[in-house]
Amino acid sequence: MDRRRFVKLCTGSAAWLAAGMRDARAGSYTDFPKVRLTDAQRAPLKASALAKDEAYVFHFPFRSLPCFLINLGKPASGARELTSESGSYTWPGGVGKDKSLVAYVAVCTHQLAYAGKDGSQIRYAAGNSALAGRPGTIVCCAHASVFDPATGAQREHGDAPDPLLPVRLEYDPADDAVYASGLAGTQLVERFFKTYKRELISEYGPGVYKEPVGDTTVAVPLSKYATSVADC
Amino acid sequence: MSDCINRRDFLKMGSAAVVGGATVMTGCATAAGGSAAETAASIGFKAALPNAKGPRLVVVGGGTSGLTIAKYAKKEYPKFDVVLVEKRDMYSSCFSSNLWYAGLINLEFLADHSFLDAARNNHYTFFNATVTGVDRAGRKLVTSEGEIDYDFLVLAPGIAYDYARIGVSDVEAITALRTAYPPGFISPTEHVTIRRKVQEFEGGVFVQCVPSGNYRCLPAPYERACMIASHFKKNKIKGKVLVLDANPDITIKKDGFHAAFNELYKGIIEYKPSIEITGVDVEKKVLKTAFESYHFDDAAIYPGVRASTLIEHLGLMDPKSPQKEARIDVLKYNVIGDERVYVAGDSRPHPYSKSANTANTEGKYVAKVLAARAQGKDISWYSPRTVCYSMVNASPMEGISVDAGYILNAAGNAIAGFSPDTKLFEKRDGAKGKSTLEWARGLYRDMFEG
Repeated sequence: MDRRRFVKLCTGSAAWLAAGMRDARAGSYTDFPKVRLTDAQRAPLKASALAKDEAYVFHFPFRSLPCFLINLGKPASGARELTSESGSYTWPGGVGKDKSLVAYVAVCTHQLAYAGKDGSQIRYAAGNSALAGRPGTIVCCAHASVFDPATGAQREHGDAPDPLLPVRLEYDPADDAVYASGLAGTQLVERFFKTYKRELISEYGPGVYKEPVGDTTVAVPLSKYATSVADC
Repeated sequence: MSDCINRRDFLKMGSAAVVGGATVMTGCATAAGGSAAETAASIGFKAALPNAKGPRLVVVGGGTSGLTIAKYAKKEYPKFDVVLVEKRDMYSSCFSSNLWYAGLINLEFLADHSFLDAARNNHYTFFNATVTGVDRAGRKLVTSEGEIDYDFLVLAPGIAYDYARIGVSDVEAITALRTAYPPGFISPTEHVTIRRKVQEFEGGVFVQCVPSGNYRCLPAPYERACMIASHFKKNKIKGKVLVLDANPDITIKKDGFHAAFNELYKGIIEYKPSIEITGVDVEKKVLKTAFESYHFDDAAIYPGVRASTLIEHLGLMDPKSPQKEARIDVLKYNVIGDERVYVAGDSRPHPYSKSANTANTEGKYVAKVLAARAQGKDISWYSPRTVCYSMVNASPMEGISVDAGYILNAAGNAIAGFSPDTKLFEKRDGAKGKSTLEWARGLYRDMFEG
């Protein structure tokens, strides 16, 4: 990448975060350029091909920010009015043919454990979880937090102050395609970048970690993405 | 003791008298605490701090409780001008230190966390000083670096060791024992010593004591036994870890620990319950009980736990408390009769686990109480959470855990026990081993990042 493009991208991401802060006061989602999800071979991802037994990890809207795409296997609940550190927002519910697709930033709002390549404490437990005591939850084993992905990832157990941060998904029935286009606020993202700055610079390079992800982003099952996944 | 009770009672009547402009210490004068406080008080100079820009909240203690309260009180009520007073100039956590003995982490893991960064990230002031007294009537905290006026004061000074519980009472014997065989549950220098002991151990008996009562970090002595045994096993050291437990059985996660002792460390860990130590001969390396003696080659002798001596020195101790803990409102944490002064963390009288996760979650609640009180409001009680991992195997890394909450009694004025949603996860596995590390990293992030 040449220097001009690099600087432009970094400036762009800073502007997006600033825009996010303005949006937070208005209590809405923050728009980001629409990104198409692909499979591991970078072919357009087909919603109907998504497994229901685990989450897929994709990065959006920045290269280092992990998100979960989940096929609940049944319709998510309807829209919910929710609140996070960025303000209030309306979680729209699931998308897709049967409204079963949801997505959240894969960073725990409690103490920021996240889905990383070298291991993830946070996972979608499609089956039963010893901690949650029921199937179909997102659990973070670091400090025993449980979230309900079918209702906007609200906290079900533990000390997380906020729901997981929702990613706005868009579904195109014409070609069964899934896109990501927004986040319900950006304060968590800012804290993520600040908290993990050393690690992200080391993994991605200075500034690279907060570059926009591009036009497409790869979604892979968590068990293939992370070398180990916590089991609680 | 009669002298100090009289003195305290007198001062209570006078409600922390100020004599000739100098603050008079409340409380019982042990040699160091009392005289130092009076000396500092008599100087009567102000701490070099910027003027308070809002109601000043002074938090004493830069452990899990104090760091959490300083951060979250500012978050809850941004008008607070928060000052964190801590006597150490470098942080190093007590939690997770057992993992260092088995080489699972390095010292950076425990200590690469700056008080200055915590203060900067969370908009408060770090003040490196030792507390020597308090003038509650004048709302002044006395420190080695001068006096600090406060609107609200939180004391989170942690624990002290109680050597009388193992029959060691005179200062000379306590000093010798603590220097030679530190328990490793308060200061980083104890951890450094224990690690050296483990690394230099060439064979014989290493004793790990477990106290009775509500000691700091219930599973930690058993976890440490596992970590030391794991080191012996890996390095083929012909050593035995002798666990002398004052309790009738392992105090928490007992199935998980017994399984580890029996399945991983047979012949390496020997567990002896109901061992009441009545004396220690430091020179001969012998622990005594009423019935027999135990010789050791090296040891970590954990005697018993009480609240920090600061609580007693400041006249805030409940005289009925067996562990010399503070006399405070159980629900709101303020000193009885004084809504300006609070005690949190391991000096509290609650029967909570004295552990980092408890102090962290409790600290967020106490921060809300303070924010509410500063605005003339109040909040309802809710339980802290004790999420606690223990590493039982170092090669490969395997852990066990507990997730506990607490409930009030029917009258709503005392802690009655664990909440019904408390769960134990005692089947050791690698996933919980990794979670043990991430649990600690999360706490560091929560205390030091913004």
